[in-house]
Amino acid sequence: MSPLSRLLRRPEAVAGAIILALLFAMALFASLLFPGDPQAIAGPALLPPFQDWSLPLGTDRLGRDVLAEVFHGARTSLAVGLAAAAASLLIGAVVGTLAGFAGGLVDEVLMRTTDAFQTVPSFLLALAFVSIVGPSLGIVVAAIALGAWTGPARVARAEVLSIRERDYVAGARVIGMHPLAIAFREVLPNALPPVLALSSVIVAAAILTEAALSFLGLGDPNRVTWGGMIAEGRTVLRTAPFLSIVPGIALVLTVLGVYLAGEGVVETTAVRRSLS
Amino acid sequence: MSDFTISRRTLLSGSALLLASTAMPAIGWGQTPKKGGRLVLAADSEPRNLNPAIVASNGVFFISSKIVETLAEASFDGKDGLEPRLALSWEGAADGLSVTFKLRDGVKWHDGKPFTSADVAFSALQIWKPLQNLGRTVFKDLASVDTPDDLTAVFKFAKPTPFQLIRNALPALSSVVPKHIYEVGKIEDNPANNAPIGTGPFKFGEYKAGQYYKLTRNADYWGKDEPYLDEIIYQVLPDRTSAAAALEAEEIQLAAFSAVPLADLDRISKVPGLKVISKGYEGLTYQLVVEINHRRKELADLNVRQAIAHAIDKDFVVKTVFLGYAAIATGPVPKNDPQFYTADVPTYPFDVAKANDLLDEAGYIRADDGKRFALRLLPAPYFNETKQFGDYLRQALAAIGIDAEIVNNDSAAHIKAVYTDHTFDLAVGPPVFRGDPAISTTILVQSGIPDGVPFSNQGGYKNEALDALIAKASETLDTTARTGLYKEFQKQVAADLPLINVSEWSFISVARDTVGNIANNPRWAVSNWADTYLAG
Repeated sequence: MSPLSRLLRRPEAVAGAIILALLFAMALFASLLFPGDPQAIAGPALLPPFQDWSLPLGTDRLGRDVLAEVFHGARTSLAVGLAAAAASLLIGAVVGTLAGFAGGLVDEVLMRTTDAFQTVPSFLLALAFVSIVGPSLGIVVAAIALGAWTGPARVARAEVLSIRERDYVAGARVIGMHPLAIAFREVLPNALPPVLALSSVIVAAAILTEAALSFLGLGDPNRVTWGGMIAEGRTVLRTAPFLSIVPGIALVLTVLGVYLAGEGVVETTAVRRSLS
Repeated sequence: MSDFTISRRTLLSGSALLLASTAMPAIGWGQTPKKGGRLVLAADSEPRNLNPAIVASNGVFFISSKIVETLAEASFDGKDGLEPRLALSWEGAADGLSVTFKLRDGVKWHDGKPFTSADVAFSALQIWKPLQNLGRTVFKDLASVDTPDDLTAVFKFAKPTPFQLIRNALPALSSVVPKHIYEVGKIEDNPANNAPIGTGPFKFGEYKAGQYYKLTRNADYWGKDEPYLDEIIYQVLPDRTSAAAALEAEEIQLAAFSAVPLADLDRISKVPGLKVISKGYEGLTYQLVVEINHRRKELADLNVRQAIAHAIDKDFVVKTVFLGYAAIATGPVPKNDPQFYTADVPTYPFDVAKANDLLDEAGYIRADDGKRFALRLLPAPYFNETKQFGDYLRQALAAIGIDAEIVNNDSAAHIKAVYTDHTFDLAVGPPVFRGDPAISTTILVQSGIPDGVPFSNQGGYKNEALDALIAKASETLDTTARTGLYKEFQKQVAADLPLINVSEWSFISVARDTVGNIANNPRWAVSNWADTYLAG
């Protein structure tokens, strides 16, 4: 049985994959379906949803098309989520591999640094970082990665600790490979799968953190973000609740989709491992 | 508080009363005010320094104007728009070198000591002139204050100072604090700055950070039978959306300074027992202004500034950003000012095509991507509306090929970026018009102001003709001639656009309809509330 068909037998994984696929489609086709600036004023202000079919989800306080904003917001959320996850996995894997493989003082220093980062709540860290450096997309990604790399680092180190005792690593040593080459060419690729399994959680958390930062006004103000949309809608929550509800639903579905799809992939691969 | 029993009968009679009150709104109005009661209202900021003689700002006045009084207060029908408070009369000499105040007799400080002309002299010379944010300009030529007797204070000026300016400055700039408290030690560090002692109808009670300020009734107040209220509690509600909910739940009886968001007013005006009041802020007009950094070569070009002015749909801003609770501005003096405003200035109707032509003419041709040039736009974070207008302005500029990048900052960082570091191209600011252009308006366009002075011309604008006009107006004593010069000032500002005035707005109060004598003067929210009462 192929991994794909095993994946397809899990309904929650299928649901997650469908949501994720839709999300990617939204992000990819956003500029085709809604060309131009999504923040352009498109109609009367505070138009409720389902009134005018050229603006199906209504308009916000300045008359911007909510549907266009949701589509373009998907781009920001996905971009930030994926970039932050990639960055934190990369940092985490490198730090974990170095710590686990080198051992001794290097291990101590790297892991105590990891501890230090882990003791600070990652959201506060991101908040402080963005408010000092100033909000822009790259900074937000960096801020999220700053708090998220510790998990992958710990998992990577644990894996490396067991792998480095294996025979093929001893073999590589004997033939005189450079320790760094052994660490990154022989050990890291084999330590990677459990680290990658964390990615769905990290992506989901990164999307939420980005939304929370934007909600607090620390997102990139020149981009549409779901968190920013919710924050803007909050001032008119009683009169136009759809402005907060629509991006809120998008956010919930996205995080759920990423998580379910990620879990599905992890579990099918885990089954394969235990079978083999 | 606890012995509330609700029965069907009381509920029915209560709702019947409520019905009657909406059917006959005249009942209970204009009647003799009731004594006693505690007024609870929303406060959205917590100023630490409560001394209005040092910090003349609305956030401080909101609380401390009930404790510390000024020489005169603004009034709808008084002579020159004023009503006596600590001073009974004021007379300016023809040469502009002195102003004589006759003070009220029998006034006592909250600690029991008598109020005299020595307190006025001390406040003016030691605080208003050297320390106060606004007094530094208005009282810059004040040389001495003579006190021939306890109830007369004569302000002597080194240079002729227009009496009109002093008069217009009285409501906001003339808070009198007790000499015997402040003459010991450094004025800025005096403990009374955090627990003020004044002559006002209310005494400072206590302040619990993050919770409330409590003011209690001053039984020895000079006003007959006043004040009516026993206590005023400022409930700290920093979240603007919570004020509306607190009003509906009857936790507070008043939310002033637009604590209820504009978007909620339509809904809340239909809630029985609550009223929405837009009066009582006529003397506190805010102006929505696009501040321009003239150091940018594109923005130093008048054609570009005119193009930007033509690109802004002021009507849209008033209707959408302010939901109608604002007026379109024509120049640096707001329309509702009775003394200085003139409509006879160049105007810039919304016209995107013309704006595009002006930019083409100025030589800023659209590149292949449709953009002419890029700039940084810093909307002030103090109001929802300034931020929203920033979003709108970005779109309006996009329509004429200017690519504006919004930079958001918190208050402190915004003030530093715009007024000290000048790291902006356009900024959205809300300056306040304070009844006379010389108090806080001419400073917005005048040159030669040191870096770091907030709410002043920090855009590097320099226009010698305009500077000369401002200087001339500041020493013109004749009221008519002076008013004429400020009309000319409005014309020149509107013509040369050192900044772009977009709209003018003020605040909205929402109150339970039991609160009486609301909005009965043009600075009501920051006046002393001696006659405010709670009916029923």
